[in-house]
This record gives sequence, structure tokens and C-alpha cells, in this order.
Amino acid sequence: MPVTQTTKWDWEITNKTTFWSHSAQELWAYRHLLVGLVRRFFLLNYNQTVLGPLWVLFQPILTLVTYVLVFNKLVGISTGALPPVVFYASGIVLWNFFSDSFTGTSNTFRENIQLFSKVYFPRIIMPLSVVSTQALRFLIQLVMFICVIAYYSLTTDFDLTWSWNLLLLPVAIALVGLLALGLGLLFSVLTAKYRDISNLVSLGVRLLMFVTPVIYPLTVIPEKLRWVVQLNPLTPLFELFRLSLLGQGLVTPGQLGYSLILTVVLLLGAVLFFNKQGDKLIDVV
Amino acid sequence: MSETVIKVEHLYKLYRLGTIGTGTFRRDVQRWFTTSILKKGDPYILSDPEKKAKHIENQSVLALQDINFEVKHGEAIGVIGSNGSGKSTLLKIISRIVKPTEGIVRGRGKVSSLLEVGTGFHQDLTGRENIYISGYILGMSKSEIRSKFDEIVAFSGVEEFIDTPVKRYSSGMYVRLAFAVAAHLEPDILIVDEVLAVGDADFQKKCLGKMREVSQSQGRTILFVSHSMQAVKNLCDKALWLNKGELQAFADVNTVVNKYLNQTQRANFKQIWISPANAPGIDWLRMKAVELVPQLDRPEDPLDIRVPLMVKFQFWCLKEDIELSVGLLLFTASGECIFDVPSDPVLSQIGVMEGQCTIPGNFLNDGSYYVCLHFVKDTSIPVYDLDECLSFDLEDYRGAIQWYGKWWGAVRPKLPFQVKHTAQILENTSV
Repeated sequence: MPVTQTTKWDWEITNKTTFWSHSAQELWAYRHLLVGLVRRFFLLNYNQTVLGPLWVLFQPILTLVTYVLVFNKLVGISTGALPPVVFYASGIVLWNFFSDSFTGTSNTFRENIQLFSKVYFPRIIMPLSVVSTQALRFLIQLVMFICVIAYYSLTTDFDLTWSWNLLLLPVAIALVGLLALGLGLLFSVLTAKYRDISNLVSLGVRLLMFVTPVIYPLTVIPEKLRWVVQLNPLTPLFELFRLSLLGQGLVTPGQLGYSLILTVVLLLGAVLFFNKQGDKLIDVV
Repeated sequence: MSETVIKVEHLYKLYRLGTIGTGTFRRDVQRWFTTSILKKGDPYILSDPEKKAKHIENQSVLALQDINFEVKHGEAIGVIGSNGSGKSTLLKIISRIVKPTEGIVRGRGKVSSLLEVGTGFHQDLTGRENIYISGYILGMSKSEIRSKFDEIVAFSGVEEFIDTPVKRYSSGMYVRLAFAVAAHLEPDILIVDEVLAVGDADFQKKCLGKMREVSQSQGRTILFVSHSMQAVKNLCDKALWLNKGELQAFADVNTVVNKYLNQTQRANFKQIWISPANAPGIDWLRMKAVELVPQLDRPEDPLDIRVPLMVKFQFWCLKEDIELSVGLLLFTASGECIFDVPSDPVLSQIGVMEGQCTIPGNFLNDGSYYVCLHFVKDTSIPVYDLDECLSFDLEDYRGAIQWYGKWWGAVRPKLPFQVKHTAQILENTSV
């Protein structure tokens, strides 16, 4: 019948893989799944623990104590004009956000293959849920961190000068998150294909911390060597984070532009790569 | 004429065996460099087309070849075939989980697939939380789950434990809850893969009932994979038979199921030995042939529990005047002996001797069986055993009985059975 011939099909499955495999409409239909997965993460992590959600805060506090003791008291790295506690807290909170998001998303295929091989949903929901979860954790920690700053500015002579730079705070945080997502998506495909890369990821993240101003301010690096650290797109973001919140940081608009462009290009490329490869990977992992 | 909701055209799926890619990162990079940058041939696929074809043939398996069919709105299609015939691959392609190698599938409406019971369930979460997360993963919206929540819980029958982590559930409860979520999906096309193999008989019946309701009264389209022909016949209108990746038949359910059973069952129905020299036996007794002859009305009928089975055998005998009797032993596939029927003793004569025995229809239960022959001298001295010489599967037949669980017992004889009414209950009889 010619009438039925001309009616349109709702969907089509071929061997072609596309870069834009999901329409915004389709992703929107799965928004509850994203929220559900974030919720699941918190439920799973803090079920049957004594401290429960307090672990979100407990972990950075312990790290902070260690860093202050080791890097400040023992090694004696200068923290510039900022009190060591405030300085390290800012670095730890932002760095954890980056590294947990990155390592979490980079295992997308390996950890969810059981699920991916049984049911269809837009694969990108999984990495998005990891980054959303980490962002939520980060925001909770940020609140704690602001309390620390408030405590210091009230009790010590540490002086906080507010400025319009504070408006750039969300930019710094968002860029760190997006950079982690982009890298994570890229590596999730690679770790699925080559198992050895997942070892590289955990090692790489640990080493990357040392070329990011987490435990030292950029100002303590001799000017001749500064370019090495500045090659890292995270550097301007960490400096911007400190500048906007604490008034101390070394960042130029040019460097920020470099980070911004790199993040956008990386994220775009990674999403396309992820979509293109994602369908094929089910047969491989 | 109802509209076509799924149209599959020239569908192929090639799986590569062993490692995919070249196996190492270095060689993958090298291959990419030679093919994409230098624009040369793939160094890991031989350039000679003939060798290349052979290479691909050796290292890959065609899970589906040239599959074409159409499904109309509201049809329930049973997908049948032996293990490895490509059933699951077909369902996975239609559910968008894997990509086809060639070909196209087009369709209308929302598809939900149920390839596993408990997709997305997590041991540490409570029943309530799992209903939500599993529902989301299967494509339900929050409001949809919320409105059906009570129904889901009631269907699963785990009301009391809904706020307990599912790791503390019994496996039956777990499966019931998981299926309950899936059963309340409301897609236009539902894809179900062998999920009825789990759960107790009661629950299986409930699931089949639910699926029938979905297909018949709600007018949804169902694709259903099962090894239970009884379930397929009861639930589906049409059946699709896959054999080694090829579409063998796609037609009315009874026709296809009968054809399928007919082909798959005739495996070890006959053994013939050409010469006594290499036939099994002892010095004076050698087997010549054993054969199982089902007494079917029509040759294309399936071998089910109603069919009488005749066991025929021939042997060479090289000794005279021995009082010989033959025992026919029937075993279930798990090795339990169902019966050991001896023949009357006969005096042996030199030459070929033969015998036969018929197992009546409506006597055995459905299942797999094997036959042994046992030769005895003077009604007491064992002479020779021919082990597992024939084997067969009996298919189920229940007529109008609406029960799909496993029928108990090694035998299911039709015995004279009467239940009748004998007296009225009188009003003033004291109890």
C-alpha cells in the first residue's frame, strides 16, 4: 500500500555511527535517570557507615591536616600571603573535584559493561552522572571551605578583600569540571580498548597534581620554569579559583583564554569521540 | 490492515573471534598510521583478496545473515532456535544495544527490552530505591513509576520488605520484584529474552499471564525469545525460527514450532554397524543396528509425549542354543532408570537376529531420555550391555491446560481417572 510506504519511521538502526547520536530531546527524557544515579551514588557510599554523609567533609579535612603537616611544617613550602590551612584547603577541594571526576568518568565502559550490554540508554548519561555527583560533593565541601575562610578572617589578621573577581568563581569551577569530563570521556574509550591505560590514568593523575598549583602557589616557582606549570590548562583555573575567593592568584586573561579554548575543544572532541566509538565498544570490552 | 512497526532488511552481524583490533596499542597505532596517513593497505589484513576472505572467515563468525522480516502492530512474535543461533543478537540489535554489521532496522514507537531480570538492580539498595533506579534505566519517567509503584509492589508480593536492601531478599523475591518493574513498562514494542527461565512455576505463570495481557488486550507488539515451545505456542501468533544466523522460517506459530521440533529432535535415532568386525559386542554377539521409530501420524508432526515409540534392534549371533533374553532400559538424561523391561527368553540361532519393543504414547513425561540394551543368558547371567545407544527428546503437549510450569514425575501416564458427583449437600445435615 502506497499510503503505508510513505509514512515515516520513528527510528532507524544501521551500522553507521554518528557523532551526534542523541538528540537533546532524548537526553531530556532520561533526566530522571541522571538524578537517580547521583542519588544512588550517595546512598551507596554512605549506607551502613557510622559517619554517613559526614565522610564528604571528613576526607578533605584529613588530607588537609596531612598536607599542612608535611608540606608546610616539614618541607616548608611557602604558601605566599595566605595562611597554610586556607591555602591547602582551597587546593585540595578543587583538586579532588577534578581528579575524582576524571578517574570516575574514565572507567565508564569498564564498570558499566554489564549494564550497557543489557539495556539501551544514552551512554553519556553515565559519565554525566559521575561529574554531577562530584560537583555536588564539591559544593558541599566548598561551603565548609567558606566557613574556614570566615573563621580565619575573624580570628586572625588574615584580611579578606572582596572584589568583582568573585564573579569569576563559577567560571573556574565549571571549567575544571568540564575539563575533567572531557578528559574522562576520552579516556573511557581508551581504557575500554586498552586495559593498560587505566593504570596510566591513576598514575598520571597523581603526577599531574605536581604540575598544578595545588600544594604550592605559582608565585614560588622560579620565573624561568613557570612556563612548564603554565602549560597545564588547570593552572590558570586553580589560580583563578584562589584569586576570586581569596584575592591571591597569578593569572592573566591570556592564560585563562588558553584554558577556556583548550577545554571547549577537548570537551567537544571527546563527546564526538565518545558517541562515535560508544556503540562499537560493546562488542569489544 | 495494521501498520508495520518493525521492518528488518538484509541484516548481518559479524563477530570477530579472539582479540578485536590487533590486540596491542602499538600495532593499532601502526595500522592507523599505514591506512590513514600513508593510505596503504591494512598491514594486518592480507592484501590478496582470496587470502583475505579466508582470513576473515577463520577469525569471525556470522551471527546473523541476511535477515528480513516485518512485524505488524499488536503481533506477538516468538523467536526460536537452538543455542547460538543468533536470537539474542537479533534482539540486541533491535534494542539498539549492538550495531549491525550490515542492513537496516526501522521501526515506530517506543521500544523497551528486557534481556535480563534485574537490570540496574543494586544489592545494597532497598526494594523501593531499586524500583526507581531500574525503572529509570528501562526508560520510565518518574511520574510513570510513581503512579504504578503500588501496582508493582503488589505484583511482586514483597510489600513487607520494600524498605529492606535487596541483598537480604531470597532469590525468588529478588526475581519477582525485578520482573514486576519490567512488567509495568508501557512501551509500544516489548522485547523479552528468556526471562521465564527463572522463578518458580507459579510466578512463571503469572509472568506469562501478564505478557499475554500486554499483547492481547493492550495491543502491544512483543518479541519473545524462549526455549519453551509450550510458552511460545501459548503466547505468540507467529514464530521466527533462526538457525545458525539464518532465517529458517517466519510464519504461523504452530507451523514453525512443529517444523523446528521436527528438525532438531532427530539426532540420535539410529545406529548401524556395517560389519561384525568393528561392531560393539562380545565374541559371539555383535550389534548390527538399533533404531528408534516414532509412530507419528504424519512425518512432519513433532515428537511429543503422545507419540508411541518403537525401539528396533538387530544383532549378529554366532552361537547356537543359548537361552537369550534382551532387556530394554530407559533412563532420564540425569541418569535415573525409569524401567527395565526384559523380553521373553528365546533360543539363539546363528545369523542375524532382531527384536522390537514399543513404548506407548501418553506414558512418558516430557524431557530427554536415552535407551540401553542389556543381553542376558539363561535369564540370570549378564552377557553384554549396549549403553546409551539411542537418545531422544520428548516435547511437551498439554492441550488446553493452562499451566506452564515443569510437570513433575519421570512418567506422565494417562491413567483411568474419575472424579464425579455423588450426592447433594442437604440443608439440615449437621456438619
